[in-house]
Amino acid sequence: MRTVKEPGAAHSGLSDWYWQRLSAVVLLLLLPLPFYLLTAVYSGNLDQQALLDIIDHIYSRVLHTLLILALIVHAYMGLKVILEDYVHRIFWRVPLIGAMLVIMTGFGVWWLALIWAWA
Amino acid sequence: MAERPLSPRISIYRWHPTMIASLAHRASGLVLVLFVPLYLWLLRGMTGSSEQFEATSAWLHSGLGQLFLWVAGVSLVYHFVNGVRFLSIDTGWFESRSALRSSAFVVLGITAVAAVILAVIL
Repeated sequence: MRTVKEPGAAHSGLSDWYWQRLSAVVLLLLLPLPFYLLTAVYSGNLDQQALLDIIDHIYSRVLHTLLILALIVHAYMGLKVILEDYVHRIFWRVPLIGAMLVIMTGFGVWWLALIWAWA
Repeated sequence: MAERPLSPRISIYRWHPTMIASLAHRASGLVLVLFVPLYLWLLRGMTGSSEQFEATSAWLHSGLGQLFLWVAGVSLVYHFVNGVRFLSIDTGWFESRSALRSSAFVVLGITAVAAVILAVIL
């Protein structure tokens, strides 16, 4: 008879849950920063040169990179759960999740290139 | 095989504040994902030439730009506050039935206030 080593035989379930929370905490700390930048530009408190000076900094680039990685993990996990709940046919569900992963990775690479190309 | 009711059975359960909070978390998350390409486009405009910067700024202040900012802002506030609520529940705080209910009301209330404030200042 097979014995179950530990509760939750499907490790991927716990792993998804854990990564969703971990990325949430990263986003909790980092996401307010670009939102603040956007509103500062919108309100006219920050002109283009001041904005460029901020995002040009190495800390900005590193924090933006961490933000993007967390954002992709978080959005992928979140949309995956939504698709798993509402798309009941595997014929549609699996290609949709796959397409989502490809699109998000593409966006992520583009975004990272944009950030590290700021001169 | 007969059609079985599959999760999440929205048409079967009675609507609760906690259920609205949970569904709204998904809806606001979806809105925020859709906002990401727009944010990328804004970022590109703001870091481009000074003409591009002016054009991006002008678009942000147009009616459509303000609408997008409002929707994204409200979604962000909701997703943020309810996300903190979810993380608190995971750590064991506010786990009772009544606490779940009242914290859902608090989160929805904060979002409503934020929506009004954003509509005024934008």
